[in-house]
Amino acid sequence: MKLNRLIKYSYPAFVYLFLYFPILIIVVFSFNDTSRSLVWKGFTTQWYTELFRDTNLLSVTGHSLIIGVLAATIATAIGTIAAVSLFRYRFWGKKLLHGLLFVMIVTPEIVMGIALLLLYSALDLPLGFWSLLLAHITLCIPFVTITVYSRITTLDKAIFEAARDLGATDFTIFSKIIIPLLSPSIIAGWLLSFTLSLDDVITSYFVSGPSFSILPLKVYAMVRLGIKPEINALCTLLLILTLLIVISAQFALYKNSGKKHAKK
Amino acid sequence: MLKNKLAKKFLVLSLLYLSFVFLSPAVLAQANILNVYVWTAYLPQDVVKQFRKETGIRVNISEYDSNETMYAKIKASPDAGYDIIFPSNYFIHRMRKQNMLHVIDKDKLPNLQYINPNLLRKPFDPNNEFSIPYLCSITGIVVNTDYLDSKNITSWQDLWQERFHDKLLVLDDMREVFSIALLTLGYSINDTNPDHIKEAYLKLKTLLPNVKIFNSDVEQNIYIDEDAIVGMGWNGDINLSLAENPKLKFIYPKEGFVMSIDCLAITKNAPHLENAYKFINFLMRPDIAKKISQEIGYPSPNLAAIKLLPKEMQDNPLLNPSSELLKRGQLQDATDEVLPLYEKYWEKLKIGE
Amino acid sequence: MQTKSTFKKICVTVIWGWLLLFALVPAALMLITSFLTPDSNDIVSFHLTFGNYTQLFNPAYLRILLQSLYLAFSCTALCLLIGYPFAFIIARSTSKHRSLFLLLVIIPFWTSSLIRTYAIMALIKAKGIINTVLLAVGIVHHPLPMLYTYGAILLGCVYDFLPFMILPLYANIEKLNPELIEAARDLGAGRIRTLCKIILPLTSSGIMAGTLLVFLPAMTMFYIPVLLGGAKNLLLGNLIENQFLAANNWPVGAAISMIITLFMCGMIFFYWRNSLSKDRSNFEELV
Repeated sequence: MKLNRLIKYSYPAFVYLFLYFPILIIVVFSFNDTSRSLVWKGFTTQWYTELFRDTNLLSVTGHSLIIGVLAATIATAIGTIAAVSLFRYRFWGKKLLHGLLFVMIVTPEIVMGIALLLLYSALDLPLGFWSLLLAHITLCIPFVTITVYSRITTLDKAIFEAARDLGATDFTIFSKIIIPLLSPSIIAGWLLSFTLSLDDVITSYFVSGPSFSILPLKVYAMVRLGIKPEINALCTLLLILTLLIVISAQFALYKNSGKKHAKK
Repeated sequence: MLKNKLAKKFLVLSLLYLSFVFLSPAVLAQANILNVYVWTAYLPQDVVKQFRKETGIRVNISEYDSNETMYAKIKASPDAGYDIIFPSNYFIHRMRKQNMLHVIDKDKLPNLQYINPNLLRKPFDPNNEFSIPYLCSITGIVVNTDYLDSKNITSWQDLWQERFHDKLLVLDDMREVFSIALLTLGYSINDTNPDHIKEAYLKLKTLLPNVKIFNSDVEQNIYIDEDAIVGMGWNGDINLSLAENPKLKFIYPKEGFVMSIDCLAITKNAPHLENAYKFINFLMRPDIAKKISQEIGYPSPNLAAIKLLPKEMQDNPLLNPSSELLKRGQLQDATDEVLPLYEKYWEKLKIGE
Repeated sequence: MQTKSTFKKICVTVIWGWLLLFALVPAALMLITSFLTPDSNDIVSFHLTFGNYTQLFNPAYLRILLQSLYLAFSCTALCLLIGYPFAFIIARSTSKHRSLFLLLVIIPFWTSSLIRTYAIMALIKAKGIINTVLLAVGIVHHPLPMLYTYGAILLGCVYDFLPFMILPLYANIEKLNPELIEAARDLGAGRIRTLCKIILPLTSSGIMAGTLLVFLPAMTMFYIPVLLGGAKNLLLGNLIENQFLAANNWPVGAAISMIITLFMCGMIFFYWRNSLSKDRSNFEELV
């Protein structure tokens, strides 16, 4: 049994180490005293000061975050509805929808980018915030749908029938039964979408316009200069900010759920 | 309850931000702006800032990493909204034939007088109706003198030596790589004869065992960090790299080398035409052109700018190659008719057939 | 049984409306492009042809397909091997901070994947961190060539796709009823048997989801093999990119994309049918 416990604690620890080691490198290199190399040359905090002066980089990061949150939220909404509909309802083109979702994941990003660009051109949609947002939402929907669908299939259909018999409308069933039961996968879907959106380079390249740029494009461009540590500084700060938000949210919710436990 | 409150706050904040985002383009449309689409790290920030200070025009910079991606985007969406682009000369050729560029009114560009006349009126744009030279770039051999003696390496043919097995860095660019084979065979780098191209392909096959890395994006960093000690490189990149690794040496090969002129052009449907002219004229001002050449590291086509450079820089063959040297170079030209053939052989090389 | 509820109508309209415009139409545009003729003057001329497809029936392209399949498969397998135990332990942990643990998995991925790949490079290159340490301690006398190898590509891929495996698995395993496992134990099943006959089948839809979300994108990724492998191999992703950009041949690029899509859909359809029927039968057995 002790071996069990050892595995239970050490295995996740190893995986976390694997996941965070390169991040640690990024943090360390944000203090590297060289502008082009990937080899340690000395300690400096100049990149942080340069970062705060670089308003372009900061505004671009803000854009990325906004698009990320919006795209993730809307994609999660649509994706969840899609997964539920695929599971519960029979409608025209159901098989086609399944196929379309797979096609969307398989399609290489460059193909998607150019195809969307052609679409926007035909619709006369100017490139900018909206073109980017719509593209990101479209990118993320299949990921959400698949994640949520995998959990839906384990639900017992009898629950729905019971609820029906008790007089619940479809919408009530959806909001009061399905969503709570699926919440882990909905959240997982949101997280995946946010990640995808924050990091999307190729499709974003094609559908973005001159007035609204996002972080991955800037990073991709800066890479030519050889990973200016300024980018590392930005990543480090974002990381610290995210960790702070997440941990404090966790404690806030923990307090909340503590009350719930007490009620039970 | 807590979740609801948070959700409401979030909704309000995002609505506020969205309205800001929507209103600002409307506001900005009144303001003076210019949309520039440029190679990554090819336009110094200071120059852009100075332009704004002097003219009040705000420049939006978007970047691309290759001619091909820029072309694909503008082709698929001609109204993308970019005013100025920086195509290499052989792309100027293609784009003007496909009606993607705006005719330049040279009366609005008095600073054109400073440009080296040898770089004007070239076949890709006979009357410079569509393009103005910005910077020149040359591909040559790079050697890390810490590991190798640069005196023994003087020609592209030398890269085929067996002692370079698994040591070369080769640019991940189809035309560039084929050019070095064509040069060793004595052909033009713009050769369209299918037999010559096949010869070049067969010759490149024998080079493959020597290739350690294919890379075009960050080749200078690979040399600086010494992950490769010999291979192909661009003169400007290596020029700047010398500050981080002085052991690198750039060699202009005997058989000749690829030259290309990166040009300024205005897109056909540029929304801010007047500002575009102001910007181009600004970039050709000798003090500005000098700053650009110094910071980006590539030779400038602007004669007055070159004269403003400090003496050591004027003598630097990387930043200011002499006309003697330049005689060996060949200007890269469009070969669109045989592009599929090049691509076919390039794929074969990469697959390892 | 299914009444015509307005809610259902809204749902279906939303989904179809969106996907029709932003997924089906672009897909159709690409499909049409794959049948047009490439033209050096204007990208495509509106001449229908099958030539783009027939020129793909070439052993060289088959090699590229197989190499890409191999890479995607190894990456998925590794992600599954590493990710499943992790997701299992976290999902079944009774700690109150369970969701925090999950979030900690994904937070590193909110830094740009490009930067993380460069961080990996900084770790394994010739003058990188690992080699510097090894040389200093004296374990090796020459730097180990870790960068620009197939292993490096695999490392980069696994690192990039791991959360796409862990998250769906977590969402699925969380639903697993611990009483079922206890019941199996009480009936005398050993650990391995419990794993194979109860746990794995019950979480198979999670495994499927994770596999899909890793395998499919892995088939067409290209910048990791370029950065970590030195761009020496041509994979599907590079091939398509080449066709669209360097060769300026959109029709062939579109054709390759279509073929990959068909191939993958075929594979998945086949697998999906099998796994669905297993799911159903397992479920019916339990209830």
